[in-house]
Amino acid sequence: MSDSDPTPVQYDPEASRYDVLECTGCDNVVLALGRDDPPMTCHGEPMERVSDPEMRVKPPDVRQVLLDAFGLPKAGLDICLCVIGEGPLSANEVAETLGYDRSTVTRYLNELVDLGLLRRSELNREAGGIVNVYHSVDLERMRRETLVGFYVWAGEAATLIEEANLTKRDYLRENHERDLPDVFWDRFPDE
Amino acid sequence: MSVTRRDVLERLAATTEPSGRTTTVAALAATLDADEAIVAAHVDALVACELACRHDDGTARVTVTGDELLALDIEGAVVVVDCLEADST
Repeated sequence: MSDSDPTPVQYDPEASRYDVLECTGCDNVVLALGRDDPPMTCHGEPMERVSDPEMRVKPPDVRQVLLDAFGLPKAGLDICLCVIGEGPLSANEVAETLGYDRSTVTRYLNELVDLGLLRRSELNREAGGIVNVYHSVDLERMRRETLVGFYVWAGEAATLIEEANLTKRDYLRENHERDLPDVFWDRFPDE
Repeated sequence: MSVTRRDVLERLAATTEPSGRTTTVAALAATLDADEAIVAAHVDALVACELACRHDDGTARVTVTGDELLALDIEGAVVVVDCLEADST
């Protein structure tokens, strides 16, 4: 980690805006955001906050999170934020306001539709042909969709971490003919 | 509270009769109790979106596209109009 990297963070059960809970009877670990009332249970018993975190992690950057989880680079986020304003706007107006090419605006508008953050309708053009109109979903629904979408991404990432841990465990049990790095990266080949 | 672009579009649609009769920006501003320059700027933006059209005599009316936009059941208030595909055909 270089000197310019941000200070690592560690889960603080008392101060964090989220909870990491674990079951005392099994290896179930969950992330809880929001109220914990009634408390989450596992095996019929309330789960407990992780109280002895040791690992520090690099604090997430919102641009990188949106890029990794949704494939949405800053330009897409800019467009999403710009259109959550007062419309109707023309695509040219959005492009001029943000300093992007018109084609870039159109591309990200369509990506935002694919993500479920915008909807697209086709309207008849008076001179013939069609006009694409992009409108937002309800902002509360947008909040839920992005949170659930991120949790899906986080679940996929957690599954990869768990697979990595199991790969190391399996290696120690069974396979000593090859080096661990070879076994590990065979399991997780480059895309 | 200042007049919004959608307010102008809705009022324009309400004052455009099926016969195609148009209204002036000054009349629109008067019915909206808004500054004429602000209403004119909103009308220009609506014309750029092809939601309204303006005639040489300065009058304006809502377009078919504008009427269809107002009829959409939109959850959020945000609308971006992109005529790129239509332009390229």
